Amino acid sequence: MTDEIANFIPSLLASPSLLYNVIGLVIYAVVVAIIFSLFSYVMGWLERKIIAKAQYRHGPTYVGKWGIFQNLADLVKLLSKEEIELDNADRLLFMAGIPLLVAAAIFTIFLLPLSPTMQATNLSFGILLVFVIIAFTPILLFIAAFSSGNKFADISAQRSVLILFSYEIPMILVIAAIALLAKGYNIQDIVGAQSPYYFAVLMPLGLVIMFIGMLAELERHPFDLREADSELIAGWLTDVSAPYYALALFLDYARVFMGSVLMAILFFGGWLGPPMIPLPGLFWLILKAFLIGIFIIFIRATAFRMRIDRVLRFGWSWLVPLSIINLIITYIIFVR
Amino acid sequence: MTITRINIGPVHPSTHGVLRLVVDIEGDTIVKVEPHIGYLHRGVEKLAETRMYMQIPPYTEKLDYVAPMSYDDAYVAAVEAALGVDVKERAQYVRVILLELQRIASHLFGIGAMCNDMGQMFTVFMWGFKDRDIVLKLLEDATGSRMFYVNMRLGGLVRDLPPGFEDEALEKLDYIDRRIKEYESYLEKNSIFMERTKGIGVLDTEAAINLGITGPPLRASGVDYDVRKNNPYYVYEKLHFSPMVLYSSDNFARYKIKIMEIKESIRLVREAFRLMPEGDALGMPVKLRSPDTKNRIVRVSRELPRGECVMYMVGDQQKPYRLSIRSPNFINLAALDEMSRGGRIADLFATMGSLDLVMGCVDR
Repeated sequence: MTDEIANFIPSLLASPSLLYNVIGLVIYAVVVAIIFSLFSYVMGWLERKIIAKAQYRHGPTYVGKWGIFQNLADLVKLLSKEEIELDNADRLLFMAGIPLLVAAAIFTIFLLPLSPTMQATNLSFGILLVFVIIAFTPILLFIAAFSSGNKFADISAQRSVLILFSYEIPMILVIAAIALLAKGYNIQDIVGAQSPYYFAVLMPLGLVIMFIGMLAELERHPFDLREADSELIAGWLTDVSAPYYALALFLDYARVFMGSVLMAILFFGGWLGPPMIPLPGLFWLILKAFLIGIFIIFIRATAFRMRIDRVLRFGWSWLVPLSIINLIITYIIFVR
Repeated sequence: MTITRINIGPVHPSTHGVLRLVVDIEGDTIVKVEPHIGYLHRGVEKLAETRMYMQIPPYTEKLDYVAPMSYDDAYVAAVEAALGVDVKERAQYVRVILLELQRIASHLFGIGAMCNDMGQMFTVFMWGFKDRDIVLKLLEDATGSRMFYVNMRLGGLVRDLPPGFEDEALEKLDYIDRRIKEYESYLEKNSIFMERTKGIGVLDTEAAINLGITGPPLRASGVDYDVRKNNPYYVYEKLHFSPMVLYSSDNFARYKIKIMEIKESIRLVREAFRLMPEGDALGMPVKLRSPDTKNRIVRVSRELPRGECVMYMVGDQQKPYRLSIRSPNFINLAALDEMSRGGRIADLFATMGSLDLVMGCVDR
């Protein structure tokens, strides 16, 4: 596997059908972009509707049936607003930060296969590469927030980096346990190994750890300390003008898509569905991702925000030991 | 570590209006909190000097826009004391009922706002709003308007309770009672809520007394002081009422005391309905009274939902010569520094929410 990592880029360039590969990748990228944009859009609408339901409200009702086009209207409004130039901001980094973050999120989505045939590359270290790119997120976030020169954004960035760094470790340890079960880091293998029983059944502890870690990684409630609206106004987005704010909202939902597809692939059998119903694998994967996304929204509607010291204490003193225990249990039961 | 100074407000999602805090933080720990007030100053005290006695209630009740009825009552009680008017007995009962309903509405709002400040995604806030709206509907039935009532007149009220009000109110109060139990089970079984309220923002008894804070924060700090008990007015003496006291002095106690007071208020309203005599509750029309103030200087104390309000009035022939209002929120805000010093920046907002500030009342 080490050789493959080392030769990844050279082998890609040396491939005889480079042109076809590139064209194919571009077409695939467009298809994936359409899928996850639609997912993000519907998720954004569902989030408003579900939270409204939890709060005895109606949510959006005016624009389109059940207010389905409300987010589109909001997007148009945000894009038409003025962009404010800040005196304190490092202009270049401030402008580049959020687009870079979006790019990183989209790249992870691009690396995830959506069905046995729909995938950009089939790497033997696929899931590791996804987590490598996820690990870039705190750095980019810190750049985006710190460059705005706002104290609230500064606090938000520091919190965010702390959370992301400390919750990556349990997640990687769970990935290691999954690799033990699937005998490899290839995502196709991971899904293939789940054909009799999903990993959620074989490794419930790992599921819980991974889900909590993913919530923290996506910084959804109760880990939304980055954008703690009652404390830090809007956290890292305090000084961000409307078009970039729209992009940041899109980023949040893109990352929810990334997180829920990842959860579906790692624990709920990805594109595997009940064999008696002949539907494409993509359908099952998106369905599972939706259900996980809705669960995340339910948590958002009910949870209180945790405090940063408690979040870190929880991560280091519960999730890390538990993920090590999970790894050991998995090794003892399934491998030895 | 260096001390960073950050400015919070006056425009900020959880400063309950227009409070500005200048906070010195060392890392994540609060060194000093300095409230800057006056962004909602409307000069009500000065304005009162230019209006006739019964033209003033619309101004005073806009001080605390979450519990306007209480301020309405506090001011009218001051005028009654100055003019030496006795309140009719049925009117006393009706006033107690309306004031306790207002207290329920105010506390429901306070609990919701506190949860919102702790990062709850508006769910408890909206629940509180919905249940508060049921109480406001009752008050609307009784007074004719939903938010600013101007319902008190000298010696009584503008109008008696409408027919059928008692049955409707008791039914709605049963519903509120059930909802309160739901709130309790939802919040107190939530480990994040408990963790973020227990032992946070502690204000010990001595400091609470020295700072002069009143109302739920004082009783949550273990001081058994409630104007309704210690200096009873209206028919609170005849009702079986005991102030709620908790001793843990933290945010949880300040939340819990609101829940307990809602329950106690529901009980008080039920009892008041039972004991209420038949008769006349109407007050004097505004203009029929020629103001000959017997007591030149009066000091009337009332237990508002947020603490003790003192109306200090120097009367004159047609209008008050001077009206001075001891705003409970203004005094309670002074405790914020003491409560949040040494705590985390994230808890500052939870502590502020537990104080249940209304900036209109602070700035007057």
